[in-house]
Amino acid sequence: MLIELSEVSKIYNQGHPNEVRALTDIDLRVEQGSMVCLKGPSGSGKSTLLAIIGCIFPPTSGRAAIAEKQMTRLPDRFLTLHRRETIGFIFQRFNILPELTVLDNITLPLLPLGVSPKERKLRAHALLERFGITHRAQFPAGQISGGELQRVAIARALINNQPILLADEPTAHLDTVLSREFMVIMQQLKEAGKTIVIASHDPLVFEHPAIDRIVTIKDGRIHVP
Amino acid sequence: MAQYNIEKQLNILDYALSSLWRRRMKSLSVLLVFAAVIFLLASFQMVTQALSDKAKQVLAYTPEITLQKMSAGRQETFPLTYKDQLDGIFGIRRVVPRIWGYYFDEVRLANYTVMGMDTAEMPEGDRLDSALASGKMPSHEESGRVVIGHSIKKGLDLGGRSTFSLFRPDLSLKPFEISGEFSQNTDILTNDLMVMTLDDARDLFAIPAGQVTDLCVYVANPKEIDTIARKISDALPAVRVLTRPQIQKTYQVVFGWRSGFGSICLLAALAAFVILAWDKASGLSPEERREIAILKVLGWETSDLLAVRFWESVIVSGLACILGMTAAYIHVVYFSASLFRPVLMGWSVLRPELHLLPSMAAGDILLILAFTVIPYLAATVIPAWRSATVPADSALGG
Amino acid sequence: MFLNPWSLALTLCSFVVLILGAVAGKTAVRVLRFWEPGSDSNRQIRLENEIWLSSTLVAYGLGFQIITLILFVLAADQFCQVIVGAMCATGALLANPYGMPALLVKLFGVFFYGFWILLHQLDIRSEQYPLVRIKYLALLLLLPLLVLDVTLQTLYIAGIKPDIITSCCAVVFGDSTGGGSNLLSGYSQQELLLAFIISIIALVILGRGLLQRWQPWLAGLYAAGWLWFFPLSLVVITTVISSYVYAMPYHKCPFCILKPEYHYFGFALFGTLIPATFFGASAALAGLVRGKGGLAGVVDRYQKLAVRLSLVLLVIFSGLSFYHYLKYLIIGGEG
Repeated sequence: MLIELSEVSKIYNQGHPNEVRALTDIDLRVEQGSMVCLKGPSGSGKSTLLAIIGCIFPPTSGRAAIAEKQMTRLPDRFLTLHRRETIGFIFQRFNILPELTVLDNITLPLLPLGVSPKERKLRAHALLERFGITHRAQFPAGQISGGELQRVAIARALINNQPILLADEPTAHLDTVLSREFMVIMQQLKEAGKTIVIASHDPLVFEHPAIDRIVTIKDGRIHVP
Repeated sequence: MAQYNIEKQLNILDYALSSLWRRRMKSLSVLLVFAAVIFLLASFQMVTQALSDKAKQVLAYTPEITLQKMSAGRQETFPLTYKDQLDGIFGIRRVVPRIWGYYFDEVRLANYTVMGMDTAEMPEGDRLDSALASGKMPSHEESGRVVIGHSIKKGLDLGGRSTFSLFRPDLSLKPFEISGEFSQNTDILTNDLMVMTLDDARDLFAIPAGQVTDLCVYVANPKEIDTIARKISDALPAVRVLTRPQIQKTYQVVFGWRSGFGSICLLAALAAFVILAWDKASGLSPEERREIAILKVLGWETSDLLAVRFWESVIVSGLACILGMTAAYIHVVYFSASLFRPVLMGWSVLRPELHLLPSMAAGDILLILAFTVIPYLAATVIPAWRSATVPADSALGG
Repeated sequence: MFLNPWSLALTLCSFVVLILGAVAGKTAVRVLRFWEPGSDSNRQIRLENEIWLSSTLVAYGLGFQIITLILFVLAADQFCQVIVGAMCATGALLANPYGMPALLVKLFGVFFYGFWILLHQLDIRSEQYPLVRIKYLALLLLLPLLVLDVTLQTLYIAGIKPDIITSCCAVVFGDSTGGGSNLLSGYSQQELLLAFIISIIALVILGRGLLQRWQPWLAGLYAAGWLWFFPLSLVVITTVISSYVYAMPYHKCPFCILKPEYHYFGFALFGTLIPATFFGASAALAGLVRGKGGLAGVVDRYQKLAVRLSLVLLVIFSGLSFYHYLKYLIIGGEG
């Protein structure tokens, strides 16, 4: 089991007047090689859940094991160390740094790992070739098309060969064609053995045949219809 | 392990460089102001350094002990017979009488330093000829001949002539013939100097025969200077005894004080810069916050981001130092520290045509680094930490 | 004598270090009071961030401390020009009773910062941060040390009166009888050199033994050996090695070798001796926290590395120490 959450709760600003209960008693198990969609309106807590799965912050209570490692009560530094080995992130709007070249953007996660420039280039070019954007390698990321940008974002999430891929509303700012293309790539990655969790309320995503399971979140709880 | 760390730091350094380049306007403004501050401090340090070196050179020519007679707190002439009382003191190599005075040229409104001395009597007096650009020192029979410094020659406006005249106190004219000229290398000492025989100097200043203004005492062993000075002082209680180390240390104190005072003034500039650096470093734009949050989600640790900021500061200070110090060196050597001239001129040591050549040891560079880079690094460390601890989750959602 | 660029630079640096130290101290107090491992509260998140602040401040502090240490010696070398009777840094440092203590406190500070950074590096290797309390208690000790450092330095600078007569190193450390106070008399050069060589050999044997089979008592002995070797080396540098560097039998000064005239030789000498001592002594020190949660593997790896580093540095240091001596023996005085 790659992702295993039991009774996970997250409370922001605990003990302060602005306390917010974002997640309550979440139980979720995701097997390796499956693709799960977290569905729910914005503010339902699915981004928080995604952040806990993505080792960005620990849960306030409950047990969260990501790739066999307990996240609860783990200091920030070790969350980061674990995250960079296991999680690939695809952000909403992709969060590409527009002034860096495509190549530099893709290799950003490798810099603190002490990977040499030569090795970085090698790995990046393998991915660029796979996604058919080799000719864009030296372009500033701000100057390429939306479809290329999407592939750059996916390539960056794969550069360290992480087993888990998380995507936060990846199609929110894409047209239908690009959204379909995105899901095609996700399907390929799933078939290649990646575990994928996508937070989205886009029917193009959750109705896609490659999705194994839809988890609906409502008011911070898993909604069972 | 070491390989990994070095590679990682290199990667981070690389990223810091590109990050500075992406914010080049901001980086450049900090860099230029920083370089200007370093330029001011370094120029000042180099000027005082070069001046104190010059002073050391000058003092190397002065006798180990100088005797002067004081009366009512003012210097006056004394008979040569004082010399006899030094006979019994062991360790004295030679005693040379000297007349030292100043002549005010009313026609040209200039002050000349007049030295009457028999240079042949000085130990290593022959070597003085090598300090001349041309000619030779007047020997004591050669009445009426003088060696003059560079600016006197210019002031007299001799053209092709080699003779000129000066007024005695009774306004009668005394003619001189130029027998030599000092080289410009010794300008600080000889620029306004006029060397003549003892008798000529007495004649010019109307000093009675047998009287002098100073006795120069040369000592065989420099370690005995203080002992001999004490003995002289005992033998001739009315005489002021000046030793070369004393004069040297006085100079050093004055120069040290002067550059310290200057440094204090420049610290104000430094303080202003530090405030600017703090301000520039702490103002985080939304784009920068977003960038840091993205990097964190992608697996950068807080310490990695701190390292980015550290390398940025090091690059900026390094470049600023190279820029500032090079500019300072050019300013001091090729422009004779013209920016500081109004300040230093008033302090009278610097002469208009002085060629300064600072010798900067590693220690002097470290001193300038301590004045500039350390405050800069300290001013940027807390803003750097603030930016490095932007939480990762701010890159999510939205 | 504050109106001098060197005094000003030293004072400025101390001031900066004091501010950084105060900020780090504030963090230490907060961490000691509020640290709750495993809590998800906002305060704990802030404290986890503040750990990075304090460690960065201490790392900067170490850098600045090394610079001020060098600056202090160089400043003393400048001061000697204005102090009658002082001909080099030794004389200037002995011009009043605060010079040498200030120097020693600064030197001690370098080691203190170094050990703290070691503690920090070990601590952040374990998910439980097991050394947080020890680390921040130690950090609180840093403040009095800084205050002592600044006080001694200020007293020293204030006490420099340009007209006092002091001894110069030729008198202070020299063999010559006479009025000068002999700071390091009563040691014969031969005996010292012998002790020095025996200590080096003993340390090498101990270190190699440790690397083959690690035993805590042996590590303790090794650290003790370094604590003995460090002062011994300082004495040997002063009384034996330095005069061979200067090629002047009566010039015995541990500071002039730092000057450009001697190709900054002293920096190589002290630059290997100080880190070698640090690594040698820290191997055993790290062993003290080996039992804390999750640190055993990290400590073991560090200890091996530290012993290896200290041995390599020791070999370089010995080579440097004997270079001028052997050159003198082989080529003779003119070489």
